[in-house]
Amino acid sequence: MSAPVKSVSASAGNGPAPGATRAVHTVAKLIDTSTCIGCKACEVACQEWNDQPFTIGAFEGTYQTLPDLAPNFWNLIKFREREENGNLAWLMAKYQCMHCVDPGCLRACPAPGAIVQYGNGIVDFNSENCIGCGYCMTGCPFDVPKLDQKTKKVHKCTLCSDRVSVGLEPACIKACPTNCLSFGTREDLLAKADARVAALQADGRKGAGIYNPSGVGGTHVVYILAHAGYPENYGLPRDPTIPWTVALWKGPLKWIGNMVLLGGILGTFFHYVRYGPRRYKDVSE
Amino acid sequence: MSPNNPQVNRFSLAERVTHWLVALSFLYAALTGLALWSPRLYWLATMFGGGTTVRGWHPWGGVAFAAFFAVMFRRWRRQMALDGDDRRWLRLAHRYAVHEEAGLPEAGRFNAGQKALFWMQGTALLLLVASGVVLWWPEAMPRALRLAAVLLHPVVAVVSIAGLIVHIYMGTAAVPEAFRGMIQGWVRPGWAASHHPKWYREVRGR
Repeated sequence: MSAPVKSVSASAGNGPAPGATRAVHTVAKLIDTSTCIGCKACEVACQEWNDQPFTIGAFEGTYQTLPDLAPNFWNLIKFREREENGNLAWLMAKYQCMHCVDPGCLRACPAPGAIVQYGNGIVDFNSENCIGCGYCMTGCPFDVPKLDQKTKKVHKCTLCSDRVSVGLEPACIKACPTNCLSFGTREDLLAKADARVAALQADGRKGAGIYNPSGVGGTHVVYILAHAGYPENYGLPRDPTIPWTVALWKGPLKWIGNMVLLGGILGTFFHYVRYGPRRYKDVSE
Repeated sequence: MSPNNPQVNRFSLAERVTHWLVALSFLYAALTGLALWSPRLYWLATMFGGGTTVRGWHPWGGVAFAAFFAVMFRRWRRQMALDGDDRRWLRLAHRYAVHEEAGLPEAGRFNAGQKALFWMQGTALLLLVASGVVLWWPEAMPRALRLAAVLLHPVVAVVSIAGLIVHIYMGTAAVPEAFRGMIQGWVRPGWAASHHPKWYREVRGR
């Protein structure tokens, strides 16, 4: 995909300066859980478009296809059963890469160009540059990237960057029969989400709201939740942020560490310049 | 040591081989680790066969380092014990650094700086192995451990590499002839008497 790039993993220089590349609208996927019927068309479409073989897992007494995302399974509807005022609440929420505005995976990645954030907001993994270290799995607050044991590469949802680059919507959105999923510019979809939340609240769903967590700078996958105060009921983390150890390691520690190493090299060199070697008087025996 | 051939045996062949196996495996682990430490050093990954190779082999470099260090540890741990003189020496190490050595306790076979480095690198190795195992198989490790390991591993590695830089400097430029002691295994009597007087008296007395 030859779209403008916003940031690249482990890049020694800065990203393109503002204005250096054509400004593009950032895109988003909106998931309206209130209209999801759990049909799994999105799961099938994802497997089909990305040409992924399906690995059958163990039956665990739930409608959910697999317990978790997998290296060859990037789109999973999480089915949660809860009791609510004596009634069954069957919560369904499609789970996949959130395409964070500030992606923890990209920050943690040591391999130049293995993770790219395009100008349109899509965060994509490039297998040819991936070294399989798995740091992205630790950097991601959503536990999305999965390491393929055979290929030693990490995989996740691409937001169909290949389709989007030629003006198509992602496969999951194309397949959704209830318009629970929609795709467009992030701006438009956030406005659409606001309107939908207002409609849900007018309809008596007082707790309805938007899931667009600010801890990762917002996301390019946005949810409408009927119980926005309890994202964990849908299998979504409550306050996802880039882990502080990752932020410290890739932030101040990098500078402190470089100072220590450079200080060691320069310090010993100039010690020699100033004090020279330690000499001794020869003794004749 | 004979009058015509004034050499004092400093390190046995076994000691030298062990030391250099530790050194080479440490250097490999350090350089491949630095490749992943900063994108500005990623060219090191290219030098060592590419990023994927480095990711696959760096942990084995660490395993080799740990194994060789264990052999060296067994051999030297008693000689590396710090005594009262050594503790006084460490308090006055700043004077050693500027060649003002009046009042500095005499060193034995290893001086207090070498001993401190030995224990420091041993401790670093334990922490590096513990965090390294977590980083080796991230998919099998609890998240909390991985979050601790991504911070601990580079912190300890930087301290350890800083120690290595000082060690290389001391063993080459700063103390002429020390290097030959670790390569060919012998030093001149004057060198031994000056740098390790307690040890020299011991060997000469034999």
